Amino acid sequence: MRESVAPNSPAVAIAGCGVTSAVGRGVASLRTAMRTNQSGLRACERFNGPLFQSNIVGAAPLAGVGGDLDDPAHQLATEALREAREQAHEVLAAIPETRVGLVLSTTKANIEALERLADGRPCSTAAQRHLQSNPLAADLAAANGASGPVQCVSVACVSGLVALQQGAKLIQRGVADAVLVVGVDHLSAFVVAGFTALKAIDTVGCRPFDRDRGGLSPGEAGAALVLARADLAPLSAIRLLGWGNSNDANHLTGPSRDGSGLALAIRRALDSAQLPPSGIDYVNAHGTGTPYNDAMESLALRAVFGEHCPPVSGAKGMLGHTLGAAGLIETILCVLALEDRWLPGTPRLVFPAEGAPASLLIEPRSAARLDRVLKLNTGFGGVNGALILGHE
Amino acid sequence: MDALANELKAKIVESLKLQDVNPDQIDDNAPLFGAGLDLDSIDALELVVMLEKHYGIVIKDIEEGRPAFQSVRALAEFVRARRPSQ
Amino acid sequence: MNSLFITAASLVSEADVRAARLGSRFGRLDLASQLALLAVEKLAADFDGLGRERVGICLTAAAGSLSTDAAYWNGRAGVGGPSPTLFAYTLPSAAIGEIAIRHRLMGPNLCFVGHESDALSEAAHLILRGEAAACLAVFCHVVTPALAAMIQWSPAARAGALLLQRLDTGLHRWRENDRDIAAMCSLLSAR
Repeated sequence: MRESVAPNSPAVAIAGCGVTSAVGRGVASLRTAMRTNQSGLRACERFNGPLFQSNIVGAAPLAGVGGDLDDPAHQLATEALREAREQAHEVLAAIPETRVGLVLSTTKANIEALERLADGRPCSTAAQRHLQSNPLAADLAAANGASGPVQCVSVACVSGLVALQQGAKLIQRGVADAVLVVGVDHLSAFVVAGFTALKAIDTVGCRPFDRDRGGLSPGEAGAALVLARADLAPLSAIRLLGWGNSNDANHLTGPSRDGSGLALAIRRALDSAQLPPSGIDYVNAHGTGTPYNDAMESLALRAVFGEHCPPVSGAKGMLGHTLGAAGLIETILCVLALEDRWLPGTPRLVFPAEGAPASLLIEPRSAARLDRVLKLNTGFGGVNGALILGHE
Repeated sequence: MDALANELKAKIVESLKLQDVNPDQIDDNAPLFGAGLDLDSIDALELVVMLEKHYGIVIKDIEEGRPAFQSVRALAEFVRARRPSQ
Repeated sequence: MNSLFITAASLVSEADVRAARLGSRFGRLDLASQLALLAVEKLAADFDGLGRERVGICLTAAAGSLSTDAAYWNGRAGVGGPSPTLFAYTLPSAAIGEIAIRHRLMGPNLCFVGHESDALSEAAHLILRGEAAACLAVFCHVVTPALAAMIQWSPAARAGALLLQRLDTGLHRWRENDRDIAAMCSLLSAR
């Protein structure tokens, strides 16, 4: 029996985007990277030393000297929100602040403050305050004209997609007319040492879906989208058409071997958007570059699409794995793809693995038709998320 | 041989925080992963840390450790072969 | 007509965790995951019969994963490096993973940081939207002495869980303004 899902009404559209990432400041830099299939991964001296498996990371241009950046989480989020709000300026001007909400997506917030406090190094009041998600979200909301509902989502690497869903749900429940959805995670010794302990890092930089892939590359980003009731946004605005989530219920840090959990999330998203699999024109994968994730994702795509998988690619070779920001910055990439009718490639992929989708794109190219995109993410704890966006 | 195997059993229970498992109950030849103690990939990494901490053995690549983790007996042989001489 | 009812509730403390016997692997979980898992365990009889794919989990962690974060970071200098196990639990949603694994729950998951995060109403909305047939609303609040010293919060170690379902009857009929799941757990688990 098919699960009954409430219709997605009112429709929710994307009114503006903002990013700061390893490929630069601003959506224009992300667009350029998308067109040229650029990788923003670089060696970063901060991560030399025995605690770190590799120093190749996706570092964003942040104000600050060397490793002594103050409150990087707040910085990244603020920059992204500023640009997104500028883009959505006309839409937001017509909505009272009390009807504008904010949803924050982050796995570690300003975790570098914990390192300072534990090590006895100086830590600014703001940096310490932003160690916790709620004060960070509250400050971002106050500084960005959002007096409506505020939520902090933290569901591992699926946080970004869940945050977008939460933003849409706030609008559909009628408690907000617009929601600022912002995701951030910053590069930290905490995270890089942790992935090192899990031996999950590719020492030459991640190569999603590659036959020789060896792990992920940590990255950082701030990414923001302004969601608004579709009737308040321009007609051409891209819409969130549906979504689905699931849990593998299998293992804490390793995905379900057969991809069935992610396949379930994809099917739920398709049901929610009332689309058949053939309705998807492009899939942006999670594609971390770990042996397990990419193999599992390939299986999930095969389970849902069979031999007819739409073009697929992954952005983590461009940006690194940006954790709480990943779902959002990768969704913004999908927005650019839809706007430009351009299929992104998979930077740093050289030899597709056996079992990877036949439609996997190494190089980008233009598309005759690009109307609906499926965005996927998975995370620790067996969480899976799928989002469909596009033209109605 | 017995002393090292018993010591390793205790170290496994301790480093993996196994509850209600008496080290004496662990069979020398039983598989450690999958069946038996039901250890997983995170446990393998934790045992690698334990080997460095208590025996000074550095395992760079998890594949290196795979033969060692077949059973307590295999682990004891691995430790005897690899521990730095005093 | 069906309404949403809370059909079971539980509240657990660190003492309950020490007394718990949830298998040989319970010890590897961080305290937050142990508390959350134990709180849900007490409701297992109530949701065991429900379709695995249709039970969601909605969790709120007041202090995020900061207690485990501190333990992981403080332990990094030991020979052999930081603990991979501890790092795996430096996410508030790790508890969701443990709950889903133990009870094989494949429904949607939500995880929020904060006390005011409306986890109970979000759980309700998952059911109302049709994304789940039932939902576990779980809260957990863990501040270890080590963390308390660092961020000036009071030490704490507790968790609670509510089972929310669309039914004709139950312990308590859910209302839109029922937000504080900790208070609900306290009230209802005493019954």
